[in-house]
Amino acid sequence: MDSLLEKAPYRTSRRRLSWLAALPLLARHIVRTMPWLTLTTGCLACTAFLALMARLASPSHSPLTDGTVRLAFLPAVAALTFVLRCPFRPVTQATPVPAWLTPAAQVVLALPLLAAAYWLELRIMTGTFPPRMVAHQPAIYPLTAQLAAWCAVAIAVAACVDRSRYADLGGAVAVPVSLAVIGTAWYAPASHRFLADPPASQGELTIAWYLIAAVAVICAGAAMRDQWHRCARRIRRPRLGSRPG
Amino acid sequence: MTAADGGPAAGGTATASTGRADSSGDGGPAVSARSRHDRLQTVLALARVEASMLLRSVLVVAGLLAGGFAIWFIVQLRKPLWWNASWQIGVGQLILALTVLAAAQLAAGRARRDGMTDLYGSFPVSGGARSVGHLLGLAGVVPASLLLVGAGVAIVQALGPIGVPSATVLAAGLLLVLAAGAAGVAIGTRFSHPLAGVLGALVLFLSSATSHVATGSGIWLVPWQVGQDQLGALPFPLAGYPPGAAHAMELAAIAVLAAVAALFLTIRRARTRVGLAAAAAAAVALVCVTGVVQASPIPADSLSHLMRAVAEPTSVQPCTVANQVRYCLYPGFGDVLPSLEAPVDGVLAHLPVRPDQRLTVMQVTTLSLPDTTLTHGHSQREIAEWTAELQRAPGTGAAASAIYLPVESWPTAGGALADAHFDIALAAAEWAVHLAPTMTASQINSSHFASCIPLDQAREPIAIWLAILATHPSAAELNAGLGAGITEVSNTWVAAWAYPGSQIGGYLSPGGTAPTTTAVGYLLAREMTRLPPQQVTRILTASWTRWTNLRSTDAQLAAALGIRLPHVSASAPGPAAGGTPAPGPQQPVCTS
Repeated sequence: MDSLLEKAPYRTSRRRLSWLAALPLLARHIVRTMPWLTLTTGCLACTAFLALMARLASPSHSPLTDGTVRLAFLPAVAALTFVLRCPFRPVTQATPVPAWLTPAAQVVLALPLLAAAYWLELRIMTGTFPPRMVAHQPAIYPLTAQLAAWCAVAIAVAACVDRSRYADLGGAVAVPVSLAVIGTAWYAPASHRFLADPPASQGELTIAWYLIAAVAVICAGAAMRDQWHRCARRIRRPRLGSRPG
Repeated sequence: MTAADGGPAAGGTATASTGRADSSGDGGPAVSARSRHDRLQTVLALARVEASMLLRSVLVVAGLLAGGFAIWFIVQLRKPLWWNASWQIGVGQLILALTVLAAAQLAAGRARRDGMTDLYGSFPVSGGARSVGHLLGLAGVVPASLLLVGAGVAIVQALGPIGVPSATVLAAGLLLVLAAGAAGVAIGTRFSHPLAGVLGALVLFLSSATSHVATGSGIWLVPWQVGQDQLGALPFPLAGYPPGAAHAMELAAIAVLAAVAALFLTIRRARTRVGLAAAAAAAVALVCVTGVVQASPIPADSLSHLMRAVAEPTSVQPCTVANQVRYCLYPGFGDVLPSLEAPVDGVLAHLPVRPDQRLTVMQVTTLSLPDTTLTHGHSQREIAEWTAELQRAPGTGAAASAIYLPVESWPTAGGALADAHFDIALAAAEWAVHLAPTMTASQINSSHFASCIPLDQAREPIAIWLAILATHPSAAELNAGLGAGITEVSNTWVAAWAYPGSQIGGYLSPGGTAPTTTAVGYLLAREMTRLPPQQVTRILTASWTRWTNLRSTDAQLAAALGIRLPHVSASAPGPAAGGTPAPGPQQPVCTS
């Protein structure tokens, strides 16, 4: 009896983590169902847009600003919102593997692509600065924090939309909502002084955006782990006792 | 239900017995006519359903709300000028257009998005008829767009605008929404993934958000440029700026082009496709023609008239004299006059002695050159003449006996209007105590320019006292300016006081030239407001020349009034890391 009691917690934790054994098998499924085309399209769109802007800016010898880089990154953020779509959620919830695993793993898989797109953007922006103006290039670390936060907010919103009645539309709803959240945070007087440079210093701005990113990641995690399909639409059922026809 | 959902069938108007809606009948003229009638009925029924679903789409509703908010936010900041506000209402339409594009793409891609092509193919309605239904269904967003126009017009009217709205620019906003919807249908017909619609909307957004890349008349070629014009700085509408009618035609042509593209992808009949190709060619031609019209230069006569009106405002401004103060306003701005007179009269009412020089309150504009959006297509000689003319314009420099008021900076109501009243009252009071400076544009624009500071001069608290008595701002707002920082004058650190409105640059022109107000000056003025105004006026009147002399000190004024001189400590800023404070530029003491 004692030995049984001693083994019980071990068995519980073992049962809880038993899905880890399925990970190697699941990896193939995750990679295959990853919306690579969507994500690549978004990343290519942002790179192409910035390259076009650089081309247009070159005759006037005006280097690209970090504002243009931010705008150009929007297509990649938009594509990211489509990564979290889990089409057969009610089915995957019934399996021993947690339902959040696939979207979470796919977000992790998306990160290198996003990083590559960002790196390309920085290269394009740097290329528009003549050698004598290299010192005037905008700082990279606040921009990185900002775009990381945008991605985190987009993921959080997409995860929440995926749990709503608009799950079928996925990113089509998540993108405007994400942009509205980011725009409100940026322009609202209460948050503007922490999130925009000026008035915030670059250090303050970096900390503020990383804080937002952290909060967004927590929200995304909570939304992805949520098992209730939140369908708000009223379902009409026939009344008991009423005659058909 | 959203536009992307399945939605009901088309009201049973098209049944299997009528055959496919676009199949050609071969049972003689009567059957053909009936078939055409049935086809039309089917398409109209589809369009009705699609229009209803589009209008109820969560995206369109969100776009409508966001667009309305954007219009309110942009317009309420300043007194609206219709030649600028008409274009600003289009910014709200642009936001609606973004969401309509995404919703229309979702609706048009509905059949293929979830692998339902076969199911939709089994319907008695062909793909071509469905595309026509989607395109006609865009009529569903017309009420939303008109609602936005109506709301925008109502907001502007409520704020007491100057001028009259431009019907062509407002119509262009409506056409922008329709063109975006048609583009969404075209994208959805070819690409069913929702990302395609989102990317289409982003292209539309980025083309407007980055219109600064375009130069000259190129800003009018993008669907809706934002913030690249000088419409707000114009004292009256300028013909061809913006080219409203041509822009509306361009957007209509783009809408036709997008509709043709959508139909071309779904209609297979050779004859129809030839007709579509012809329509596409006509639309492209119209886009080119309207592009050329928009790129044509603004008539030189109109620009010359504008430049003269800016450089010599009195050539067009009717001036009125009230209470021995001259007010010169551009035609149409007459309803601003009472708002200007009130604070100035308030100062004059408490002023013991008036200066010899008469005060003039004059409207100016901040129109600046070079600006290729205005002067494209004109010779360098003309542009140089206009630029030189503008550099001589009042408002580029400061005059001791004039208050310059930019046309685009006057607020409509609320706290901003109260701040603007205080600004005018303080400027009038500074004229009264001989504190207002006279400076040329080149002095102001030099890299060494810094506004003067009336350090320990009795006339400063007197001016602030007069402004407070004239406008009665709240104590909280006045006290909020005490944390405005410190400045260095004659190797002494002085605590500054930011008067209401100064922290957003003020409401008068040229900005940043008014004397910097000190915390001591404000605190002394605050003490003066606690005394009966008659008592202060009596003491000031007794030796007004003395008090307006720059050598009279705050301590002397406090002693004469029998109040304690406030003490404000202003220590030097902390040393930089490992060193002593860096010597910065020092502000000069006001000596005028």
